[in-house]
Amino acid sequence: MEKRTAVIGWIVAAGIIAVVVFGTGCIEEKEPAPPEMTTLNIGYQPSTHQIAAMLAHEKGWWERDLARFGIEKVTMKEFPSGPPEMHAMLSGDLDIAYVGVAPPIAAMYEGLDAKIVAGVQTQGSAIVVRPELADEYKRKGALSLKGKKIATFPPGSIQHTILSKWLLDNGIDPEKDVDIKAMGPSDAATAIGAKTVDAVFLPSPTPTIIEEEGKGVIVEWSGSMWPNHACCCLVASGRMIREHPEMLKQIIKTHINATEYEIAHPDEAAEIYAKWENANVATIKHSINATDMRWIHDPRLEIESGIEYAKVIYELNKDRYESKGIKVLEAEDIFDTRFYDEVTGKR
Amino acid sequence: MNHKLEIRNLTKTFNTEEGELKALDNVSIEVKPAEFLCIIGPSGCGKTTLLRMIAGLEHPSSGEIILDGKEVKGPSPDRGMVFQEFSLFPWRTVIKNVTFGLEIQGIGREERYRIAEKYIELVGLKGFENRYPYELSGGMKQRVAIARALATDPAILLMDEPFGSVDAQTRNALQEELLEIWKRTKKTILFVTHSVDEAVYLADRVAVMSARPGSLIKCLDIDIPRPRKRTSVEANMFREQLLMLLSIERSKASISV
Amino acid sequence: MKLPGKDMWLWTVPLAIALLLWEFIAGYVVRDPLLLPRFSAVIFSIYALRGVLISDILVSLLHFGIGLGLAFAAALPLAIAMGWSRSIFKAIDPIIEVLRPIPPLAWIPLAMVWFHLTHYAAGFIIFIGAFFPILLDSYTGFRDVPRVLVETGKVLGCIRDRKLIKYVAFPYALPFIATGTRVGMGVGWMCVVAAEMFGVSDSGLGYRLFQKFYFLHQMDYVVAYMLVLGLVALCLDRLFRHFVEDRLFKWKRGIVK
Repeated sequence: MEKRTAVIGWIVAAGIIAVVVFGTGCIEEKEPAPPEMTTLNIGYQPSTHQIAAMLAHEKGWWERDLARFGIEKVTMKEFPSGPPEMHAMLSGDLDIAYVGVAPPIAAMYEGLDAKIVAGVQTQGSAIVVRPELADEYKRKGALSLKGKKIATFPPGSIQHTILSKWLLDNGIDPEKDVDIKAMGPSDAATAIGAKTVDAVFLPSPTPTIIEEEGKGVIVEWSGSMWPNHACCCLVASGRMIREHPEMLKQIIKTHINATEYEIAHPDEAAEIYAKWENANVATIKHSINATDMRWIHDPRLEIESGIEYAKVIYELNKDRYESKGIKVLEAEDIFDTRFYDEVTGKR
Repeated sequence: MNHKLEIRNLTKTFNTEEGELKALDNVSIEVKPAEFLCIIGPSGCGKTTLLRMIAGLEHPSSGEIILDGKEVKGPSPDRGMVFQEFSLFPWRTVIKNVTFGLEIQGIGREERYRIAEKYIELVGLKGFENRYPYELSGGMKQRVAIARALATDPAILLMDEPFGSVDAQTRNALQEELLEIWKRTKKTILFVTHSVDEAVYLADRVAVMSARPGSLIKCLDIDIPRPRKRTSVEANMFREQLLMLLSIERSKASISV
Repeated sequence: MKLPGKDMWLWTVPLAIALLLWEFIAGYVVRDPLLLPRFSAVIFSIYALRGVLISDILVSLLHFGIGLGLAFAAALPLAIAMGWSRSIFKAIDPIIEVLRPIPPLAWIPLAMVWFHLTHYAAGFIIFIGAFFPILLDSYTGFRDVPRVLVETGKVLGCIRDRKLIKYVAFPYALPFIATGTRVGMGVGWMCVVAAEMFGVSDSGLGYRLFQKFYFLHQMDYVVAYMLVLGLVALCLDRLFRHFVEDRLFKWKRGIVK
């Protein structure tokens, strides 16, 4: 009796194994999507750093410029910060991403097939402390943050990387001397208001919004923590680079147009952002005036910072990368300036 | 003579969804000390209700129940009860079941165990003190229930068809053991049963109840000397008498639906 | 023919086959460590993470302990009240039935506002997960105490409710409480990741899985921690069964089996 049950059990197990093996084999058989592309997926974050993306969409430029490549629909996907955005790109859900320079580098260490093809913006993040702590910061500077809770973007983001490096430069251990909590911009704004955290380090416009609500005081801009550091960039998936080079060049062209437009019309840019993110127009205009961010489009302006980020991220995860034989990423692993050069005639 | 238990004009009416249900109608009985009284009657005649009221689990609509000269108000260990269903606490061993009532009274551990062992031996279960109820047969369970009820030294022992759930042979054995226990403890026992055979074998006196609403029809003195033979001529005579009384009551019940 | 330890083959061999299958499919069919890390990579990850693994497990167990302890302390008195008194049950049950289906995760925003980023915020989510299973099974236990046991308690001297609950209802309900606790433990542990993913602490299995491994796309570490979460749950369950259920509830064996 027992023997029969065991035999039946083995047959069932063998059957399941066969189904699984053939099933996964079939999944592998499926080729990557045919060269015909009708939808473009663009990732972005709710920050004034990336108004170019919103502006181009608002004015219909994406769809207008890409229609001749067969694109019928351009989908904009919003993410609270870079790391989740890169996680989506890793799964193939994004073709283009407006994102900080650090998250794609962290993702490339884990195998992301993509390159930075254009610049978007430099600097533009700020440390905001609770109003009661502003005086202490004026007196002691960075050291006043020892033992405090600071909210910023998750590990692998520009903000986390810059904050960590700046703390280290000031003799503060980011793992032991401060309590860094990772969250998205709106969670962090709520947290500082509820006094759950003592300080936040976030990209514009959130610092200005917090200050205008009386919940915090801006004490440091990222440009003084790491001068001219690269912040946001334009990332293209490996597939776009290999299979749709002409479309990619047009995307960069459209991005350049949007960037030039926003530089020339900051108030209109503020209005578009306010409409997209349901924010107060006056506050956004104020933020764009107060911030130290610079909208750019040349990827070369970001290469130096990019290499630094690659080193910092490598240091933070040294044990893991070394054990896997992963090396520090170099400029050519991260950036691909060919398309920008062709579009702008620089050679 | 002082009666052990007096039941005077006991009436019980239940309020049900269908209206009022009269279970007992003006029942009066007197029980002598150390008497073995059986109560017998057709189904639904209220004999269980009567026993439960004596135990204090139901309240009379009118009438009194007087035990040792004092009126009965609610349940108490001075009226021990053995139910028809198996009622041992399954999480307690035999000896812990038997000591239950003593534990509630706050009696010390050594004293409790001493008393309990005495009664466990009395019901013939010496050696089974640390067994759990699930390890016992039906007959053994009821024997433990009897020991448990006796351990608190009640003034009167109430038994509601205690042997109804066991097979016929075990039943006969338990009846003999019960008589033995009764002889040794000299307790007053009120025993409700369906079985005429059982009543004739066990009782000094048999109270026959009518169909619902139950009232007392007749009290029969069973004057056969003990130890009794189940199949003696006198036993048969009493059996016939009782069976006839019961069948009359049964036909009355079916007529007056 | 009976092989020695025949039962062991029944589960070790399928497990080994499953692991080999995983290794094969991950290494040779999928070939993408982001999509499906290899089993060998996951095992190596556990070794690589040995520095933080133990402290993470301990912190998660701390959150789990807080949540479970509070759930137990809150559910038990409520279960006694609801199981014992029909009117209390009718009064409170509708509120319970509305709150019960709300997923623990939906409580996270409130937890963050009430308890900020402390261990208690995490413990609260686990509390929500564990509370309802413990409550439901426990009040069922108290509600379903057989009437004959309650009446036996009464006739043996437990007159007031408090004594009946202590000596009869509670021991009867104990296995139900244990079952509910075991289920509550399972649900509560599943909430650990949700409870910790919002950064309420600096360590913990859920915290590290979400705040570190996920954001840095370290999928082999993610799967390694998933396995650890599952194994800890298995250990908790087995330990509970051995120390609580097997030891204390020998007497239920007779009833269930």
